[in-house]
Amino acid sequence: MHPLKATKKYLNTYLPFTRAGIQAAMVYRSNFLAWFVGSIVYCLVMYYIWLAVYHASGEGVMNGFTMNDMTVFLFITALTNFLTDSDGSYDVGEEIKDGNVAMRLIKPVSFHSTFLFTEVGWKLLVFGMIFTPVVIGVEIFKYTAYGGLSFDIGMFLLYLFSMMMSYLFSFYMNVCFGFMAFFLKNLWGFNIIKSGILRFVSGAVVPIAFMPDGLRQVLEWLPFSSLCYTPVMIYMGKYSGGEIALRLAIQLGWVIGFYLISRLILATALRHVSVQGG
Amino acid sequence: MKDNRIKRFFREIHRAFRLQRIFAALHLKKLMEYKVDFVIGALGFLVEQVINIAFLTIIFGRVESLRGWSYYEVLFIYGFSLFPNGLDHLFFDNMWNVAYWLIRKGEFDKYLTRPINTLLIVTVEEFQLDAFGKLIVGIALIATSLRHIDLPFIWYDIPLALIAILFGMLIYASIKTIFGSIAFWTKRSGHILEVAYNLNQFSQYPVSIYSRAVRGAVTYIIPFALTSYYPASYLLRHTQPVFSILAPVVAAIILMSIALFVWHKGLDAYESAGS
Repeated sequence: MHPLKATKKYLNTYLPFTRAGIQAAMVYRSNFLAWFVGSIVYCLVMYYIWLAVYHASGEGVMNGFTMNDMTVFLFITALTNFLTDSDGSYDVGEEIKDGNVAMRLIKPVSFHSTFLFTEVGWKLLVFGMIFTPVVIGVEIFKYTAYGGLSFDIGMFLLYLFSMMMSYLFSFYMNVCFGFMAFFLKNLWGFNIIKSGILRFVSGAVVPIAFMPDGLRQVLEWLPFSSLCYTPVMIYMGKYSGGEIALRLAIQLGWVIGFYLISRLILATALRHVSVQGG
Repeated sequence: MKDNRIKRFFREIHRAFRLQRIFAALHLKKLMEYKVDFVIGALGFLVEQVINIAFLTIIFGRVESLRGWSYYEVLFIYGFSLFPNGLDHLFFDNMWNVAYWLIRKGEFDKYLTRPINTLLIVTVEEFQLDAFGKLIVGIALIATSLRHIDLPFIWYDIPLALIAILFGMLIYASIKTIFGSIAFWTKRSGHILEVAYNLNQFSQYPVSIYSRAVRGAVTYIIPFALTSYYPASYLLRHTQPVFSILAPVVAAIILMSIALFVWHKGLDAYESAGS
């Protein structure tokens, strides 16, 4: 088939899932607004702690971060996390547990893509309702704090691109985790553990630059800094051109890696799945 | 007449404790059945706390103190905050279900058919063992910090600490009840409760690091700081003894009165959503 035609067919098949995702997100918009307010509260607590740290240390710059940088870091990290975090693990797991996965498997659509396109719908609404106003707020803060306009549209587009990579990485990794539902009942508790650890190792709690030396080297090697730290550092302009290219390539590598792993797990799991009832 | 009411009140309380024992035993049996689930749930909340501690440890690698509080003092305050928080989580977790879906799905009706106060049955029905994740971290933090701090300890600090923890737990439970009750009118208030409850993150650290406005809000408006920072700093330094212990008690009593009032107003307004 002609590639253009194939793409069109693909989008025709899966865009309805995105539409459904947007509609579901509209219904639950008060929920994710509340979650976001929760993470803003967390940002504020962290802001005051860092303020006290900078105050106590008496240094204007720590590990290349000024207090203003740290403020931008906190809010952009919360935002990036919110947009790139995937519920794939929970969605896949729940369907496996209640048997609905069977309904999905008998339809002539890709298992992964249906989940992916539905969640993209959610993310689009989050993008409009939360991302855009908060980024404008952060830019206004930057304008007043740094004295002058520092918004770079090219860098911003690279940030968006890197964030998309982070999301895909997060999505495929979470799908892999979702298959744990075959072994675990308490998926909820498992997800809390997983996301807690991921938040730490992805540099969302403490900037990786602030970690003790040994830990920092380990975390830079692990894939998880691709999840959050990379796009945030690009947004903040902390990476040079060459480093951005390298980081994006690493991100792409992990996306492909986890995509392949999740396909492998799906193929193996389907051979063993047995669904009761209907 | 009045005598009878007091008697009835105590009989209700007595029954509630008996029911709490029965339900707790039931949940412990469930625990034995699903050991792995329990461990995972508790571990989830434990990991959350450990990450915050890791954060504190990393920043204290840079500085000696935060606004006058040393590393171990901050750990002590953080650890103390986990007791009222964890106990509330253990005993009053069902309020989340009320706020998110029990009313919306019409399942709340079952409580109305029970021959006991609705708030009591809602409370005792759930016994959330995940809370042990928080309580264990709390004990570990207090134990660790005590090895490095000289407390100005007097024997009556122990009953005072217990009073502060008990009333701190009631502050949490009351705030949850107030915001959970909104669901009687709106069918769902989980997200509003989530926003209010999340403000407790401010209470885990010394409030002296915050701006005056934030400090005022977490002391007098949504007074989570009264559950942790004030009693903990009293234990650490014997400062403000009257306010630190009395304020949590007074705040808990005021909030409990509001909670009971809103809950009963809500019950009057409640219309089942079921079919």
